[in-house]
Amino acid sequence: MTETNFTLPIHNLAERHRGVTRALGESYTEAARVCLDRHHVSPVTFELRSKGNTLDGVVEWISTDERTRDAWANEIDTTEAGAYACALAAIELTIEMVAVHRAETKTGADYYIAPRGSEVNDLEDCYRLEVSGVDKAPVHIVEGRLRLKLNQAAKGKSNLPALASVIGFRAKLVLVENLER
Amino acid sequence: MAWADLHSQSESLASEAEATLRQGNVDKARVLYEQAAEAEARGLEQLDVSKKRTLGISAVSAASLWYKAAHYVEAQQLAYKWLSSGVLPEFAEEQLQGLLQAIWNETAMQKAGLRFAPGQVVVSVKGGDVVTGGAPLDLIVEKVQTVQSLFYRTAELLYAQPYRQHGQPSQELREMCRPWLFQAVPGSYQFAVAVQEPAQQDLFPGKRPKAVEVASHFLEILRASVEEPETVLPKIVPDPQYRGTFLKLTRNLAPTGKSFEAMEVRSADATEPITLVPSARKNIGDVIRRQTPARDPSQFTEETLLGVLRAVHLDRDWLEVTVDKDHIRVEDVGEAIDDLIGPMVNRPVIVHVVRDPQGRRLFRDIEPSE
Repeated sequence: MTETNFTLPIHNLAERHRGVTRALGESYTEAARVCLDRHHVSPVTFELRSKGNTLDGVVEWISTDERTRDAWANEIDTTEAGAYACALAAIELTIEMVAVHRAETKTGADYYIAPRGSEVNDLEDCYRLEVSGVDKAPVHIVEGRLRLKLNQAAKGKSNLPALASVIGFRAKLVLVENLER
Repeated sequence: MAWADLHSQSESLASEAEATLRQGNVDKARVLYEQAAEAEARGLEQLDVSKKRTLGISAVSAASLWYKAAHYVEAQQLAYKWLSSGVLPEFAEEQLQGLLQAIWNETAMQKAGLRFAPGQVVVSVKGGDVVTGGAPLDLIVEKVQTVQSLFYRTAELLYAQPYRQHGQPSQELREMCRPWLFQAVPGSYQFAVAVQEPAQQDLFPGKRPKAVEVASHFLEILRASVEEPETVLPKIVPDPQYRGTFLKLTRNLAPTGKSFEAMEVRSADATEPITLVPSARKNIGDVIRRQTPARDPSQFTEETLLGVLRAVHLDRDWLEVTVDKDHIRVEDVGEAIDDLIGPMVNRPVIVHVVRDPQGRRLFRDIEPSE
């Protein structure tokens, strides 16, 4: 294994991200374990690219049992939930921001992130975190999905400021980038 | 209580509602969403109007929570109130308009007295000749027909029907899962497709896939056709005839870039779209050509015809293209003529053929020319 810079902190998310409840945090971690089990054996090296920097890091997890995998049978939901675990871990690690609030939308919910330890009384200066998970597709598809998000944010009436994070589980890739108009 | 405290209360209840929903308890989840909506709405009233972004996010959150609680009247009232206030940022106005459209569609479905499978598919066409809320009729008619064909082919695959070479989907299949068209919010040009469930379930005894599975399988097949046509699609669609038809229908959905730039297809409940752009059309076309058995180049010469498709013979497997003023017959079509080629009649097409030693033109592929 190559020398690595980090261990992705996908466990115990609620302890560090006050916008994530314990139940949801555990759910995201479990989903991430299912996604990782589909393609890899723990530990595995992931590449993390954030704001022009590239790091190699380790992801460690306890393998899931059949009951857990059956409970997460819907591949799309599982990939999305697992991606949340990895994205929250990535932003905590690379830019020292944590989820402080969550707000509902028609299709789901958005997390709002702020620097670790900051007092947050409203969402005016928080970054919205946009997360996307890719299960099987290769690196260029993962990169393409991030490019699409960047293009959409540049053109549309987006809720900014925001960060986008795209996770490729089979590709072993985590991407984090600022969305700008 | 301050906004932050009420919003935190709402967050907690909404998270619990999501977990409850995941366990399958819809009624309890709706009660929790209702409580979350009330907390969020109270918090919204505490906010200073100078905090526009927070107002916008919180207003969308409150309306979304009422919507998830299936309290459509409260959701509409809140949306109308804040849309008319003039204080919301643009992103929040757009999201509230989207919510209102979703509520109107739900209400229309309920009033129709028909049952629809959960999970609509939203199709958006953007760029080029497409404007907000409008698009050239022939373009949209063609794409709607292709989406319909994809839905029926997905259902036939799910119901393990033998591959249909000719004719329409069976009456039984159309009664089991009939796609409907609904209005979506004009962000580009959009429409929503919902699958109607059969009126009498007991006419179709035995274990059969549900209508909701048709929509999710449709998206899975479409995504694989666009992103992983040679690795993932064969696993989802093992039958090569079905796979070939799915690839061609997907290729026909994608733009060339002339009349529109991108098509997005997504579940109405999810944010992650499947995006079809000109490069996707080219990639899928390359895959189709790689999978078509090659002819001996010493005996056959390749040719491309650009013209108008003027005639097809459904039983004798030929079609006729008018190139300038010449009527050119192409034989050995062997395609699923009704849903692949039928929509292209009297439209500009690109036909790929090979000429045999006798000069006959034999079919290889056909695609619409925008």
